[in-house]
Order: sequence, then structure tokens, then C-alpha cells
Amino acid sequence: MSRFGAKKGNRAPGAEFTWDADPGGVPDTAPTPLYPTYVLPYARKLSEKEQKEVDYYRHLRERFHEGPYYSVLDVSSSTAKKGSAARANFDPFHGMPSYSGRYQKKRRTIPKIANIGRDYETRFFPRELWQTIMPNFHPNASIDGYNAQTVLSGLKRGFEDDEDEEDESTKRRATGADGGDAEGEANEGELLDGDEDAEEEIVDDDFEDDDDDMGGDYNAEQYFDGGDDEYGDDGFGDGGGGGDEDTY
Amino acid sequence: MMMSQYAAELCALLIEDQFGDLFARIFTTLQRYERLPLPRLKFYSRLTDRQLQHGLAAMIQHHLVFHFTSLEDGHTYYAANPHAAYYLVRSGKILQLVESRLGEYAARVMETIMYLGHAPIKHLETLPELRYLKTGTSGGADTTVKLEGTAADADQEQVPDDENEFEQELDQKPVLEEEEEQQDVDFEAEVVEMNGANGDHAADVGDNRPAPLNSTLKALASHGYILRVKDAHFQSPEDNYIEAHKAAANRSDIKLLKGKRLTEELANKTDEIMRERTEGDLSEAWMVNGLPRGLKRKSASGLGDSEANNKRHTGENGINGDHGYDDDENDWSEDEDGFDSSPMEPGLVVRVNYNKFDVALRNARFVEMAEANAPPVTAEIYETFLRRVEYSTKKCRDVTDIPREGEEGEQFSIPIETYKIMSDLDPHLELSSCMGPSKPPTSSTTTSNTLNRRGKRPLENGHGNGINGDHYDDNHDDDNDHFNDHIDGVDNQVSRAYEVNQHLSLLEQAPNNLVSQVNLSGVVKWRIGFRGLARKLRHLEIERLVEMRYGDVALRVLRVLHAKGKLDEKRLQEISLLPFKDLRQTLSSMQTGGFVDLQEVPKDAQRQPSKTIFLWYFDPDRVSSTLLEDTYKAMSRTLQRIKFERAQRRDFLEKTERSDIKGNEERWLSEGELEQLRRWRATEALLLGVVARLDDMVAVFRDF
Repeated sequence: MSRFGAKKGNRAPGAEFTWDADPGGVPDTAPTPLYPTYVLPYARKLSEKEQKEVDYYRHLRERFHEGPYYSVLDVSSSTAKKGSAARANFDPFHGMPSYSGRYQKKRRTIPKIANIGRDYETRFFPRELWQTIMPNFHPNASIDGYNAQTVLSGLKRGFEDDEDEEDESTKRRATGADGGDAEGEANEGELLDGDEDAEEEIVDDDFEDDDDDMGGDYNAEQYFDGGDDEYGDDGFGDGGGGGDEDTY
Repeated sequence: MMMSQYAAELCALLIEDQFGDLFARIFTTLQRYERLPLPRLKFYSRLTDRQLQHGLAAMIQHHLVFHFTSLEDGHTYYAANPHAAYYLVRSGKILQLVESRLGEYAARVMETIMYLGHAPIKHLETLPELRYLKTGTSGGADTTVKLEGTAADADQEQVPDDENEFEQELDQKPVLEEEEEQQDVDFEAEVVEMNGANGDHAADVGDNRPAPLNSTLKALASHGYILRVKDAHFQSPEDNYIEAHKAAANRSDIKLLKGKRLTEELANKTDEIMRERTEGDLSEAWMVNGLPRGLKRKSASGLGDSEANNKRHTGENGINGDHGYDDDENDWSEDEDGFDSSPMEPGLVVRVNYNKFDVALRNARFVEMAEANAPPVTAEIYETFLRRVEYSTKKCRDVTDIPREGEEGEQFSIPIETYKIMSDLDPHLELSSCMGPSKPPTSSTTTSNTLNRRGKRPLENGHGNGINGDHYDDNHDDDNDHFNDHIDGVDNQVSRAYEVNQHLSLLEQAPNNLVSQVNLSGVVKWRIGFRGLARKLRHLEIERLVEMRYGDVALRVLRVLHAKGKLDEKRLQEISLLPFKDLRQTLSSMQTGGFVDLQEVPKDAQRQPSKTIFLWYFDPDRVSSTLLEDTYKAMSRTLQRIKFERAQRRDFLEKTERSDIKGNEERWLSEGELEQLRRWRATEALLLGVVARLDDMVAVFRDF
């Protein structure tokens, strides 16, 4: 390597390779760094206003999560149906049922639409969803659109109010019979509702097996149900009877 | 509506964050395939019928999905509503805004409306959590309130005090704020004493409890924060347009027209019909004297100063009987307007009016701008003025997309008279302290008075002479009618008007031009040019980013390019007074970042580089839209980060969410776990805060 281009200064040949020229520095022949160093930006601390905004956001989100609509796609648990996708995704490390699992937050797989004490403005929903938002609506009963709609929605409102009251009272009774676990009050009520639904909603083959395994009446799968139980609606007349069943 | 990749991703993430992944799956499918009837949706999303039906019903309830039933084939088509999905991220800001304007209870009502999606008034009336002025015994919400409380307390013990101070500075409503604090204390006392012997006290509260809901709803309605839900709100804008177009084309008077006039008239009629169908504004119906109800009037706070002080003293002395009344008055200082608790139309279905909140948030941005460049008093006058403007501004702009720069006309707010601004101002606000001494243009002022004013501020004047009683009386009169017979009153008013004008003309100056004056028949009015200011906000945002990324040299180059248009390198160098080397480096790095671009103008047909002129230019529209996409991307990455962080702590977080632990963290969790929970909450808050900041940028680039 000829050094024609080298400066005519007093640098000895090979001076660029000395170790003491630039202690700590990388030699000239070192590969260029792939990523230049950069200053990592840090986020400013939140101001009080921002903190408040965030708290409001989280509070609302919390309400959505606690509410009837929050639903996830797969609840991987060992109680899932054999051969189903949920079963395949079962997490053997965290999914095993344990005693404290009864306190674990349960996730719905289907939003609970009907009978949650909410009136739906039927006219805002497409006709094919009417049966979802009010289970006692029968699309075949009357084909002509508008009249049926008004009549039914009017009727339905009356029904629903009654049912809500009954639901609440049954829940109260049910939890009273359980011995008033203050924490799980709401959950107990829903759990019982779920059991009630189980009889006709989903035919679960290994329901009994699971029951034996777990040694309890707890069935996570039916914990939250869609809740549009035909039961309460068909048997509107014997709503009170349903309540009694709750307490067994 | 076709959405960009990141915007779509962001919407799906937001929905997942709030409603779970079933909704997100449906939403993503609809975004990917656009409108779909149920069977196709089922096919693409691979969900069961029940999942889809329930999911769609709930999403319609929350306006996340549009639906449209065609009259021709009878099929119902579903489409995603990205607008509503995006606004999920703004809920925190909206609620905070409502709280600062209308108090904590109003924010709770608002939150409930958000929680329900849309709700009829009669349903809101039945809700237990809205029946009480303070959070009562409503299961889930209550526990989270506690939790937030503990977390916030643990994070920063100072928060409540600081917040109060902060708001005092912001709103200059010290009395109200303090009293609210007082209320909190009182309420705890109430709870304790509920079982005690204070019978009348409990009754008082009981009387007041049902009252606020109706008046709060009216206040929200008159501010335009909620709107009436109509059928057309459930259909996508495109469907609405097509329907309106059909309806317009079928009109007999349109059918007579031909050619150019036909298209023109058709477009007008279509717009009109569309507006008619989607218009759900409630504000006008519930305004009182052109002002919304339930306003925390500043003058009222000034008026109540001495009384409030007295009350607080009695409160401290332990006469608790007053508190029910206290609560009432503090939240609703509109007794003089007639406290109206008659219910609204029970069948009225309401939802959040996001457009109006955009207006309010934009005004908040303007105030921030004013605060940066002007003394606090000026900023407050400006805020008062903007409040007035806000009441009459329904949405940020008339067209759906931000018009290209240079092609946008100016869109002015309605002009506001000075005396109106003045009547809204806190009469105790010291106007003259930050202005140079000046002579008001009134001949009626006596020399001694002027001297006095110069030497001492009017307020101190009053206090110094020890005639407090008179002073308050004065203000009282001012409230009732603006122009008092009292000589002092007139003098005061005129000089105050002069001062207010002075403050506003300070804001009128370049570079920001936050207001502009109109002089119609001798009356000074003020108005604001929205488009110019929105453009200014966009430019400031772009400049901020450029400076952060490429340094101040780049900022100078950018400004030169913006001011001068397209420039070749030599000319640019002459103007910006930069060495060639720096300039080239900066320009090329900015070009890589997409902020400036190069245009080649060949001199001959061969397009030889040596015979080509290269012009640098900066296109704000293009940069804005790129930045908007970048912001979407950053937001969605941040949300994914939150998801990831949550997944890392999954076991721990699931433990804290257990039904027995939730709400009783102190009891069941160890010290280390509590610390961990606190740290997680702080981390999440920071990340969400970053998302909120990015959302501010989105608002600037997209909404304003």
C-alpha cells in the first residue's frame, strides 16, 4: 500500500495503527456502526390535567370491561368443549383450574344483550337483529313491517321492566340463600343464571364429567351466557317460578 | 370509507382495548371488506351467528357499526364506523372538559351516556348511579373509583391540591373550586352523619338528589355536548348522501330543471335534506337568553364571594344543615336564571356530540396559544370570548376534509360584542395590572379618579377604602343589568370595556392573529377566523417536529421555503444565510423525512441534469397528511406496547382483577405487590398520556 496520498507531515508510517493515539476510540479500520447512536427521547411527565384525562379514560374503560358487552373470542380453559378451538388453545401453565380460580375474572364470549335492564330503541336497529335485542320478538308473527314494530316495541318495554324487577328480586333472594357473600353477590347471581340457561342453550356433552372433576357446581363455560334466555320470555307468566329455581 | 392501514389498525386496537376482541374482529372484518351483509360477514369473520348478532347489536348500540337496509333487495348491510371508533380515545379529554365546565356530576352523566352508547332520557332517569350527587353504591364503578383514588394518591400525593391550584389558575374561580373541595369533605361528613340525628339534613340531600339530573342534561344539551339521535346517524354518510340525493331528485321542482342548473340545485337540495336528517342539535332549544344553562358563571362566583365565605365558616362551625343547599348552589349557580328541574322529553334519545367537543377542544388549543404569548389575564379574557363563540359554533368546519392550503376561504365565527365578553368575565379580575398605564377614552372620568386608577388598581381601591359592602353591591347590580345608572358603575364599565378591548387587540397582533376586530356601525365586535388559526396550529405542529428532528437550521430553511415558495438552492442559500454544506445536509435529510421535496424543471427536451433547474419546496398539505399517518402509527404502536406490557404482567394483573381482591387491594396484596400495581398504573398512565398527546396532534391535522 503506497502512501502517495499521505500527508507530508511528520507522522510515521503506521502511526494510524498505534494504540495510544485515541484511547477508547475505535480504530479507523473498524466497521462503521450499523446504527448511529441516538438520544432516547423520554416522555414528559403527565400534567395534572393529563393525569385526570387518563383517569377518566381508564374509568370509562373499566366500566366497559365490567359491563355486559365486553367479550373476548377465546376463553381458553380446560372446561372448553373437546376438539373445539378453545380447547386447542388451552394454556397448560395458567389454565389449570384451581380453587382461587373461582374468583378469577370471567370473560364473556358473547355480549349480553337482552335483560340487562337496558331498553333498546328498536327503531335504530336493523330488523334482522330485532330478535337479538328482544328475544320475545317473533319475526314470523307479522310480516308487515311498521305496525308490528311499534306494537311489539311498546309491549316489550312493559315486559322488560317487569322482568328486570323480578330478576333483581330473584338475585337478591338467591344470594341471601347462599349466605350473603358480599363480594360475589353479583357474580353468584349471574352464575346461577348461567346454570339455568345451560339446560337449553348449549348442550354440553362433557358437562357431567367436568362437574365430577372439579367437584363443584362451578362451570366456567356457562358462567356468562349470552343471556337471551328464551326461558324467561316464554315463561313470562311463571317468572316467579324461575326465581324459585334460582335458589335451589 | 377507505382508511389507511394504520388508522384502521388503531381503530381496531382501540375497540379491542375497550370492548374486547370480539368487537375488534367484527370491526376489522368490516373495515377490510367494507360493507357486508350478515352471511358474508359471517363467512369472512369466521364467527358464529350468535356471536355476530349479539356483537353487531351491541356495536350498533355504541355506534361502532353503521347499518343500512336496502329497499331494493331487503338486505341489511353493515359497515364500520371508524369515526366513532377513533373517538373512543378522546373520551378522557371530553370528560375532563365537561368536568371543568360543568362540574363532576355532569362528567358522570356524560360518562354514563358514553357507557350506554346512546340512551333515552327516561332510561337515564332510572339509573341508580345518577341518582346521587356523589358516587353512591353502584357496584363496579364504585370500586374502580376507589382504586383510581388509591393509585393516584400513591403516585403523587400532591395531586388533588395541585389540581385545585391548577384549576384555580386556569379558571380563576377560586371560590367555586374551594367550595367543591369543601363539598368533598362535607360529603364524607354527610355519610358519617347519615345515621346520626341530623334528620333534616338527610332530607335536604334527598330532596336535591333527583334534581340535578334533569338540569344537568339540559345543561349538556344547551352546551351542545349531547345531541338527539336520529335514524340517519346509524347509516354511513355515503348511504345518507345517496338517499338524500334520491329524495332530492324525486322532487317535482327539481325534475323541471335541466343541465347545469339541475346539478346545482340538486346538490343544494341534497345537502339540505342531509342536514335536515342528521341534525340532532339540542342546544338552541335549551338555551336561556342565548346562554347555555348550568353555566358556572364567573360573575356569580364573584357575587357569592362574601356569602360563600360565610357559609364556609358556618360549615366549619358544624352547622351541617346547610350542606344540601350548599351542594346545590355550588354546582348550579343558576338560581337567578330559574332553577329548572322539569324533566326533558322522556323519549328523547341522546348521545355524545363529538363535533361539538372538537370545537371546544380546538378553542382550548387557541387558549393555550394565547397563554404562550400573552399575560394570563389576556388569556382569560380570550377564553371567555371563545366560550361565547363556542356556543354558536356547531362544528369545526363545513367540509369533511381539510381544504388545501391556499384554497381555503376564511371562516369566521359570529362577532361578539365587547360588553357580552365583559358580562361573562369575573368582575374581580384585574384587567389593568398587565397593561401599561393608559387613559381611557371617557371624558366623564374625573382627574382624581384617573389618578387613582393609575396609582392603584380599582379593586384595591375598593378594599383600601374599606367599603367592601358597597363594592359587592356594585357588582351585584352589574350582574343584573349591564349598564347601571350609578355613575361609578358607568365609569367602571366603560373603562373595563376599554381594557377588554385593549387586551383583545393585543391578541389581534401578528404573528398569531388570534382574534380580529370588526367595526360595524360604531360598535366594536370581535370574531375569530377559524381556518387561518387552524392552519397556524398545523404549521406550528410541523415546525415543532422539524425542529425536534432536524434542528433549528432545518426550521429556518423550512420557514424560508414556506414564505418564499419554490426556490433553487442558490437562492435559498442567499435568503437563509447558511453555508452550502449545512444547507445541503439539512435539505437532504429533510427530503428523506418527507418534509421538503425537489422539483426539476428541465430547460431543454433532453432533460440533462446540467441544464435543469432544481427547485426545493415545502408542501404543507402533503406533510400534514404524512404526519397524520405517522401519528396514527405511533398511537397504534403505543397501544400495542400497552398490550405487550400487560401481557408481560398478565398473571399479576389477573390476580389484581380477581373478584375478591378488586377493591380490597390493601387487604389482600402484599406491600411489594401493591408497589408493583402502583408502578404498573403509572406506566400505563404514561403510555395512555402519550396516546392522548398524539391524539392532540391528530386533532390538529385532521379535525380542526
